[in-house]
Amino acid sequence: MAAKIHTDKVSAWYGPKRAIEDITLDFEEHAVSAIIGPSGCGKSTLIRCLNRMHETIPKTRVEGKVLLSGEDIYGLPAVTVRRRIGMVFQKANPFPTMSIYENVAAGLRLNGERNRDRLDTAVLESLKQAALWDEVKDSLEKSGASLSGGQQQRLCIARALAVRPEVLLMDEPCAALDPIATAKIEDLIFDLKKDYTVVIVTHNMQQAARVAETTAFMYLGHLIEVGPTRELFERPKETLTESYITGRFG
Amino acid sequence: MPQAAERKALAKGLEKLNENMVTLAELSELAIRKAIDSLTRLDGEVAREVFTIDQEVYGLQLEIEHNCVDLIALHAPVARDLRTITTSLKITTDLDRIGRYAKDLGELTLQFNPSARGAEPELKRIREMADRTIQMVDTAIDAFVKHDAESVRNIMQVDDDVDRMHDENFNELVRRMTEGSLKIETGARYILVNRYLERIADHAVNIGMRVVYMVTGDWLPRERAADRAKRIPK
Repeated sequence: MAAKIHTDKVSAWYGPKRAIEDITLDFEEHAVSAIIGPSGCGKSTLIRCLNRMHETIPKTRVEGKVLLSGEDIYGLPAVTVRRRIGMVFQKANPFPTMSIYENVAAGLRLNGERNRDRLDTAVLESLKQAALWDEVKDSLEKSGASLSGGQQQRLCIARALAVRPEVLLMDEPCAALDPIATAKIEDLIFDLKKDYTVVIVTHNMQQAARVAETTAFMYLGHLIEVGPTRELFERPKETLTESYITGRFG
Repeated sequence: MPQAAERKALAKGLEKLNENMVTLAELSELAIRKAIDSLTRLDGEVAREVFTIDQEVYGLQLEIEHNCVDLIALHAPVARDLRTITTSLKITTDLDRIGRYAKDLGELTLQFNPSARGAEPELKRIREMADRTIQMVDTAIDAFVKHDAESVRNIMQVDDDVDRMHDENFNELVRRMTEGSLKIETGARYILVNRYLERIADHAVNIGMRVVYMVTGDWLPRERAADRAKRIPK
């Protein structure tokens, strides 16, 4: 399988503090890749470097290359990069004053889409892809904030999908959800990889084991090990990985 | 990553599992040692002790199986914890089978007519084969207890020796029965003893190979014990 995203010696700083160091990693196309590791290991920083979100924080910088289908994203306009590489965050963040419909259409409108038919189609398709359509089709005018936590997260996924990104980054997308809502998101992730490349950061190792083909383990800003998920959880090569996943740290 | 309390519970469960596995392994080995002892001395009392041990082996095997399922269900173990639990789950079957063969040997002891003592040459060969088989079981069990993959890497070669002995014994028994120097009934029973020992050695191979997986995560290329057993004596 081809790498959709390739990072080459990526390092990132918050002021003088280096959060990740020389990360070289491939994310395969039409596959789910998981990044695991303890709090503060740099996994969220890494995925924020993949769509240039890291630089939105003051006094930060990035070194190294991030190639999207072979193209260096740091040579492209940041807005273009973020349209091609969408992101979903830990806490669902629908625009509270907008309706469900407007939440999904927001990205397209920002990109200049005004045609109502095209917007309707995109909203319908995105909500269907996010497995939310059946639950909201009769209440599209209601506020996005009126939905449950799990529905809000799927609304955010629909919003990210509406601009037809190539890659979807998910930073702890189920951290605030109950097991039923989590299962729905995981089912959704499984379906999404047909059309998208998915990168998920998760604290939940069982979630990584369930949804990802490939898992990377990070520790103290370093990439310790990456490999097929089954192998990483059954026979990790590195002692640090073994210690972390079996809970023998500390 | 499991939380501290969860890790503690898992560690406790693994400790208990290990204790039970060591006991089960010791009981299985004791069963086969006693079975061979009962056979060579035609001692019915010792044979009956084997039946009791086999019952204990069976009971403990069930307990271990339940322990393993609980650990998997409650703690979702990974890496070496997972390999230890799944290996234990598999090895219990081999140890139980060894116990069963020991019981079968004990039953044969009771069926042997004391006047069958005319079969000393067979007994000597069987004794040699039994020593080699018990040594294999001992090596495999020791490797499991000590988490030592290296000591069992060549266990299949030792098994080839046992297979060769099995074939030679079989041919010799058939020859003697054919020429009439050994009673058919006695010879037939020795063929069963010969077969049981060869199968016990196969189970020792299974244990050895699973220990390699448990310790290193490597799957050694393997031949199914049943297929090994099907080899036609040359």
